[in-house]
Amino acid sequence: MTATLPEQTPARGPSTMGVLHHAGARWALYAAFTVLLLSITQELATPSTDQLTSSGTASLAIRWAVPIMLAGLGGLWAERAGVINIGLEGMMVLGTWCGAYGAVIGDPWLGVLFGILGGAFGGLLHAVATVIFRVDHIVSGVAINLLAPGLTRFLADSIFSGYEGGSISQSPSVDDVGEFSIPLLSDLLEWFEERNWFFVSDATGLLGGLVSDVSWLTVVAYLCLPMTMFVLWRTTFGLRLRSCGEDPWAAETVGVNVLFHKFVAVIVSGALAGLSGAFIVIELTGIYKENQTNGRGFIGLATMIFGNWRPVGTALGALLFGFADALQLRDRTAVHALLLLAAIALGLLALRALRERKWVSSVLFVGFAALFATWYAVTDSVPSQLPQVTPHIMTLVVLVFAVRRLRMPAADGAIYSKGEGRH
Amino acid sequence: MRKRLLVLLAILISFSFVAASCGDDDDDASDTTTTAGGDMPETDVSVGLVFDTTGRGDQSFNDSAAAGVDRAVAELGVEFTEATPNADGSNRAELLQLAAEQHDIVLAVGFAFGDTLGPAATDNPDTHFVGVDTFVPDFENVLNLAFAEEQGSFLMGVVAALKSETNHVGFIGGVDMELIQKFEAGYVAGARAVSEDITIDIEYIAPEGDFTGFNAPDRAKEIAASMYDGGADVVYHAAGGSGLGMFQAAQDAGAWGIGVDSDQWALLPDLQDVILTSMLKPVDSGIFDAIATEVDGSFEGGFRTLDLTNGGIGYSTSGGHIDDIVDQIEEYAAQIAAGDIVVPTTPS
Repeated sequence: MTATLPEQTPARGPSTMGVLHHAGARWALYAAFTVLLLSITQELATPSTDQLTSSGTASLAIRWAVPIMLAGLGGLWAERAGVINIGLEGMMVLGTWCGAYGAVIGDPWLGVLFGILGGAFGGLLHAVATVIFRVDHIVSGVAINLLAPGLTRFLADSIFSGYEGGSISQSPSVDDVGEFSIPLLSDLLEWFEERNWFFVSDATGLLGGLVSDVSWLTVVAYLCLPMTMFVLWRTTFGLRLRSCGEDPWAAETVGVNVLFHKFVAVIVSGALAGLSGAFIVIELTGIYKENQTNGRGFIGLATMIFGNWRPVGTALGALLFGFADALQLRDRTAVHALLLLAAIALGLLALRALRERKWVSSVLFVGFAALFATWYAVTDSVPSQLPQVTPHIMTLVVLVFAVRRLRMPAADGAIYSKGEGRH
Repeated sequence: MRKRLLVLLAILISFSFVAASCGDDDDDASDTTTTAGGDMPETDVSVGLVFDTTGRGDQSFNDSAAAGVDRAVAELGVEFTEATPNADGSNRAELLQLAAEQHDIVLAVGFAFGDTLGPAATDNPDTHFVGVDTFVPDFENVLNLAFAEEQGSFLMGVVAALKSETNHVGFIGGVDMELIQKFEAGYVAGARAVSEDITIDIEYIAPEGDFTGFNAPDRAKEIAASMYDGGADVVYHAAGGSGLGMFQAAQDAGAWGIGVDSDQWALLPDLQDVILTSMLKPVDSGIFDAIATEVDGSFEGGFRTLDLTNGGIGYSTSGGHIDDIVDQIEEYAAQIAAGDIVVPTTPS
């Protein structure tokens, strides 16, 4: 929770604990409020659904958010050091193939390691091109996105085709790493969920999804979040790395080895993308299939942007998409209930705008709330295409509404040449 | 500086194209071309096989097509090469043209070739084409192989309803389009024929036009898990390569799954405990017969529908999970073949 602090040099001394405590309480309040909103929507929804707050939806959302979050964190590492990494998708593709290869020749954990190395290799390519040869970041990223699917297809044909069940476009099935439930707690939460009490059962349902049948790999993936927060915001190395993204020329004058920090950042970025790819293969699918990343690298970049280049914001964005994905897969009618949720949320935003005397915004919010409410009232279901595009629409909406509050690293995408000063 | 940048970019991009094209052509010369040998009959017919996306190894539709050609290679001694389109299928047309220029008979596997077969047939009037699941009328050199999937799916509906203990079954379609709706219509009719008040969950992985639905085991797994959570205990898929995910979910839930196109029990040894049966769409024998007509010179264009009357559709009994109800299934099959039951081809 430390990353919710305003961005500043780490505060030292006794005050830190107080701020932490405060921030933790605030987040708990936000979470409770979100659950309450979901509960109310679920109570009101017709046709009725119990999937908005079920443990099944929660555990699915948690898992499906992982690839997007890891890609987002990957983007965060690179861009905080001033390198735009649009090649995340390609690095994820390398991660999927390498992850499957490791899992096929060894065990799933070897697959995870191979996936990370495969992604890191993609990161290395990007680092060599952008940091050493000063190629335009977008050009190099696009080249990696083109290269990766071709390379993996070639590799799959030359290696996986030789295995039973493998082919030019897929690997043999691979095992997952195993899962665990927290004993007692998960049973207790399940008991509460089955009672169908308003709010209580909803909250315990969502919590239950977090502690039952959790894969070890999911735990590893979520550990990347606090690790990123710690390394980038609580260490000297992280401060120097971020200074390279804000002003590499100033960093250079105080003796920071800019090239080194950018290089490491981009490789870590690739490694995270590779882990994301390996997660898709080993945890979500159980098999390598061509094209299975399905644009999640780009969605990860989008979550990073609307998370305002911060780890917690990125992770929350990823969870939002994971939740939309999960609902769509588990229950299409629940997606219809989201229209009501949107109407209620917009109504609340309108109230807040009224209180702050922002008349134009409040009228806009009321208008959109009415639009969603009408849509909800006159239909029983949403078109089958809508759930598929929901994440993309949400990205657009959030970017449109939040764009004025976003602040990217000042020297993001800048071409830096050692010792040559500003261009 | 700029020059070095351009050189690097050129290298990267050209490498990616080289890698991509290596994959597309599938090393055809080296490991898949097989020639006649031993006591096989002499023939110089060469066969080009263009798969649907995913290609050989999908443990379903494409593998069935591959089996037909492999049999033709072994029994008729034809030569063949194969090619697999890229993941989004955007290079189908090019692969088909390439195959048409090099071979006597070209097999296009999958409905998606419907758009590209016509132009290829016009450009190569001396080449014969066989489209599986395609609808390309008015060409003398194009044979369209169609299958009465609704009839096979009806029998799967019968199996599901008979085997369900909760009177609740499910259906997962890969893509929400006419061809797959045929499966749904037949399955629902079959289940209702056995039990009128049965609950049937129906979900499609992807909307029309988004063919990733045939290649998304992760999504199929979660959709199936949701159905099993909701009380369904038998789920049937018509989703090609995505079906694997449904079987994984069945295994987690301790419930049944029904396979499609090929005998998936034999193809997925790890999941044999949960694969009740599979609807067999014998693409292999359809393709083998077509190649045989090419070899003996009797190839004819037009349409050929394989259904229960001519043995063109069926089900597998591997694993013995449905041995106890085979008589009842056969009864329904006989009624369909006799025309007493007319199976709908569109969902009601």
